[in-house]
Amino acid sequence: MDKSLHLETVIRTHQITKEKQLLEKHIQKKNEVKEALQENFGCNIYSPFNSGSYAKNTAINTKFDFDLVSPFKRNAFGSNGTLKEMYEAVYDFLFDKYKIEAEVKKQKVSIGLEFYPDSVGDRIKIDVVPGREFNQDQYKDDENLNLYVYYKYGNFAADSERIKTNVQMQINNIKDRADKEKDSIRKIIRLLKVWKNTKYNYPTKSFFIELITIKAIDNSDITGKLWDKLKTVLEYIRDHVNNEGFTLKDPGNSSNDLADTLTDNDKQQLANDMKNMLERIEENDENIKTYFPENPKFKEEDKNKNKYGTNGGMPIPPPKLNFGLEK
Amino acid sequence: MILRTAEKIGLSLEVDDKLLNELVIIGKEHYPNEFGGFLVGNYRDDNRHLHITNMILPKSFMASKYSFERSTKGIKNELDKYYNETPKKFYVGEWHTHPDNRAIPSLTDISAINTIIQNHSACLVNPVLLIIGFPRTQVDLGFYVWFENKLYKYEQS
Repeated sequence: MDKSLHLETVIRTHQITKEKQLLEKHIQKKNEVKEALQENFGCNIYSPFNSGSYAKNTAINTKFDFDLVSPFKRNAFGSNGTLKEMYEAVYDFLFDKYKIEAEVKKQKVSIGLEFYPDSVGDRIKIDVVPGREFNQDQYKDDENLNLYVYYKYGNFAADSERIKTNVQMQINNIKDRADKEKDSIRKIIRLLKVWKNTKYNYPTKSFFIELITIKAIDNSDITGKLWDKLKTVLEYIRDHVNNEGFTLKDPGNSSNDLADTLTDNDKQQLANDMKNMLERIEENDENIKTYFPENPKFKEEDKNKNKYGTNGGMPIPPPKLNFGLEK
Repeated sequence: MILRTAEKIGLSLEVDDKLLNELVIIGKEHYPNEFGGFLVGNYRDDNRHLHITNMILPKSFMASKYSFERSTKGIKNELDKYYNETPKKFYVGEWHTHPDNRAIPSLTDISAINTIIQNHSACLVNPVLLIIGFPRTQVDLGFYVWFENKLYKYEQS
């Protein structure tokens, strides 16, 4: 079998444009949440923006997550206001507004809104990420934000309750590379997301996948057809992710290392998964379909397989047959 | 004339213009009543292409403006003759006319196709149906094939 051809089909069946209606619903709801935040927080908030995979052009249609970054002014919660107060104020507002129609959850740096299924069973999920500029009115110049890090069981280390980053820079960095290198970076990121979705609750974040793909491509000789390119990235992850000193710098703040978002066990698991995947596909090409399945909802029929058929012997017409317009 | 299924099943059909003209002329001769018969041909290109080569007219039938019933009485010899040719030719489907109407299958037509696929002697998994419609002064041709419980229309390639 032609593995590259299969991978191209996988990407086609996962194109976000194939889920137009669901995408429209997400965009509409995202705009609604954005307007509600702006109305409630008035001049204390800058314009919220989408930072999810859709904004970076690396989305697949089996997992729709819209991240709505909401940049607040430094003094939005008083000159001595804390990041925790910002986070709690956004949570309280969203909970009050959406508690009837959605599950509102505190998450690590965001507040998750999981709307209950609509009349056709579609679920919309939007993560609101509150962030605060470093100094009053500085955001429009540097776009830097402090995000509050929520731990269910409390913050346990000094300075562990904040992440300094530049989300706009993160988006631009990945989007630029994914747009310029459509046939390698964008396709491979999407394929790795398809693979991740075959696993339940896999610890590797989408942002990690995006960064490690770019790093693998920057540090390897990427040539050949799609499978050759993907294989090179899988081999890079297998050989490097678990190495001491392996880092994945956040393009929004080089002090943040995304490699730290995985435990040593998680990294070992990821390296093992890459190794097993490569070996199974090496053993039998067909195994690629297990790791990188088509989206069954948009599966393309293999028209090359279709044939006219008889059940053997000389076909004899049925003795009596009626046709007509039944007036 | 070579036709292909417009939808994604990828099967094609070929019928000689001479044969097609003959069917249209015979259909017109029976106007304003319906008329029809048997289509004969064979499969090529790894069974992905159907060539309709001949037709057999029914010896026994009943027809009105809105219905057509044919029987197989007296056609066995012709079927045998075609089957003994090289390459073998065999029954591949049916044709009939729709006087003053478009070439769109009626429910009766679809149930006729169902009868063919359920008939063990017919042996056909994908019978084809040609409808020759005579709306007003035009001739409207509709070729269809039964494939996985659905009727697909062929389009000009």
